[in-house]
Amino acid sequence: MTPVFTPEQEGFRQEVCALLCEDAVRAEIAQSRRMPYGQESGLLDVHRRLGKLGWLAINWPERYGGSGATIVEKAIVTEEMIRHGVPENVHSLGVDIVGNAINLMGTDEQKDRYLPGLARGETTANVLFSEPDVGSDLGSLATRAEPDGDGYRLTGRKIYNMKAQHSDFALCAARTSTGPVNYAGITLFLVPLGSMGTVVEPVWNLSEERFDLITLDGIRIGREDVLGEVDDGWQVLNRVLPFERTGLDHSAKAERTLAALREHAPPGCEERLARLETRVRAARLLAWRCIANLHEGKPDEIHSATAKWYTSETAKEVSVAAVELLGSRALLDARDPDAIADGVFDAAFREAPGLTLAQGSSEIMLYFVATSKLGLPS
Amino acid sequence: MTTTIAEFFEGDLAPLVRRMADRPRGEGGDTDDDRRETRAMVWEGLAGLGALDGTDAVSLAELLGSVLYQGPLLDTLTARELFPDADLGQAPVALAVGSYDDQDGTISARCDFVGFAAEVDHFAVVGGARSALVQAGHPSITTRRHEETGRGELYRVDFADTPVTTWAGPVAWEGARVRQAAYLVGLTQAALDHAVDYAKTRRQFGRAIGANQALSFRLAEMSMHVDAARLLVHDPDASGHAAATLAAAADLARTVTTRTMQIHGAAGMRSDDDAQLYYRRAAAESVRLGTPSQLRQPQE
Ligand SMILES: Cc1cc2nc3c(=O)[nH]c(=O)nc-3n(C[C@H](O)[C@H](O)[C@H](O)COP(=O)(O)OP(=O)(O)OC[C@H]3O[C@@H](n4cnc5c(N)ncnc54)[C@H](O)[C@@H]3O)c2cc1C
Repeated sequence: MTPVFTPEQEGFRQEVCALLCEDAVRAEIAQSRRMPYGQESGLLDVHRRLGKLGWLAINWPERYGGSGATIVEKAIVTEEMIRHGVPENVHSLGVDIVGNAINLMGTDEQKDRYLPGLARGETTANVLFSEPDVGSDLGSLATRAEPDGDGYRLTGRKIYNMKAQHSDFALCAARTSTGPVNYAGITLFLVPLGSMGTVVEPVWNLSEERFDLITLDGIRIGREDVLGEVDDGWQVLNRVLPFERTGLDHSAKAERTLAALREHAPPGCEERLARLETRVRAARLLAWRCIANLHEGKPDEIHSATAKWYTSETAKEVSVAAVELLGSRALLDARDPDAIADGVFDAAFREAPGLTLAQGSSEIMLYFVATSKLGLPS
Repeated sequence: MTTTIAEFFEGDLAPLVRRMADRPRGEGGDTDDDRRETRAMVWEGLAGLGALDGTDAVSLAELLGSVLYQGPLLDTLTARELFPDADLGQAPVALAVGSYDDQDGTISARCDFVGFAAEVDHFAVVGGARSALVQAGHPSITTRRHEETGRGELYRVDFADTPVTTWAGPVAWEGARVRQAAYLVGLTQAALDHAVDYAKTRRQFGRAIGANQALSFRLAEMSMHVDAARLLVHDPDASGHAAATLAAAADLARTVTTRTMQIHGAAGMRSDDDAQLYYRRAAAESVRLGTPSQLRQPQE
């Protein structure tokens, strides 16, 4: 199913590309990928530029800083940002995950409070789900939210989240009750960061962006900061998941790395490149199928799992193939004066392992397709 | 000899050796000086235990890979084969591969990805019809460290009319390739062991993740591939197939370390976890003597 864009959408894509190709924007993007070790960029001028135009969260209502456009225009912005190398985690966490959840499930007060800043590219947010002992099995999370007057106190440890140092608030999953079904009893909270009761410690990793370990030490949260219903966070997650798992981010990354690989590959790699090219094209089609489903209001979990698995595995394959085909040259980091393609291969290689883990690991997608699509016994 | 060297690497030294050439990125930890000291100490130890003799070098290379040794030993063994008459003593030598101009006893070349250039005593400049041994530290030589995925000690080295102390013919790469393949087999086995340990201990959904056949079968499959690759490198006929064997070991190293990352989940990405170290080292080491497709071209 080839994505068919209207002439208006094609025109819009060109406008987005023109903005992202401006010299100052390109310089800022290059700079953000060459920060001193141990530092990383947060929101950039380019986010604020897009925000001012109402494009950053273009599918949100105008009163919240969007333009009231559809998910298709949003996906065009996301795809082009990644193709042009804008570091995307800060945007995807703030707008695509947290902001989107608030837009879909939040109260009017929550929307008024949080969405305009996110849409303008002035504030961002992060996601506190994983814990030291809780990864794939999110249902077993241990962070507790205990009633305290008309609110709650949160206690627990959250790890492998990103961008805490740039975030104003977080979407945090905590247990409000226990029962026979472990994912019942989870509630989602909008938690201010940088306040009393949260301690953030960096957890350094091989990619350009650090993880954080966040200790919630009895931070107090009001009743008005619950997103969705108490004990019913799973509902919110299920509603938001298809937006997170379109695979579009991964297919755009794969395209970007492959374009550079094609430019730098020595003769003799044609067959391999042709295979990768077909995979990347298929990845993009799977991603856009999910966008089309969302556009029609018919999210499909099997399509989402397929797209997440296929696109992330493809992006990883392209990144590892670049080292195989280009050899040592591919390893030069953006900070090396002789780096080829601005160091995109090194960055992609170090980012690759995370792609098939975050937002639902490959094995979890395989399990879902095996049981739900193929009907194999679980 | 290999057994004594294996004992040398056991215990407290092991974690230091794994990071003996891994420069930290924002996370602090040991300084470069600490790491350089570890490397000097390991060099003394290896030389003292007979590692430069060149006997049993394939087993030694596999052992070095398994402890993730990083240093000039494998290059030095190749240089000693190439310049059997040079008086190298126990000095470390780096191979510098590149195209060069030579005239009247001097050499000019630009060589990239030269290992440990800042701490060797000699360079063996190779890659053309003949090979040149030059003394490190000569003012005509400039070095610059690469910023790269492996975060190791790889340098660009420029030689500008550098005096040559000894000439030799072209390198016969077979020995170096088999040793590099053995090194990769050792590294791959170590990464696999790390993954197996984690699969036994990490629990999700109420049981060890390794209880899922999706992971256990994959681990079993990898262990069989490593077994096969090990037989290839130790085969008496290995040097007859050196390039192809190295290409296979390189592909396997990248595959296994990538899967080791997957099995470790986000924890494997942490700077203090060895999974990411194996992954980055495999990337650097697997293409050090050429890419698999270069190695699989018909060899002259
Ligand atoms: C780049 C990156 C960014 C992240 N950002 C965030 C964030 O912003 N916020 C946040 O809360 N978390 C974040 N995470 C954490 C992420 O949600 C977890 O990595 C994910 O849930 C998987 O958990 P885990 O890493 O602990 O792996 P584990 O769950 O421990 O799994 C380890 C391995 O076992 C496999 N496995 C587990 N169960 C099974 C099974 N039943 N059958 C077969 N295989 C199985 C997994 O697929 C994986 O390969 C991020 C992770 C990464 C890598």
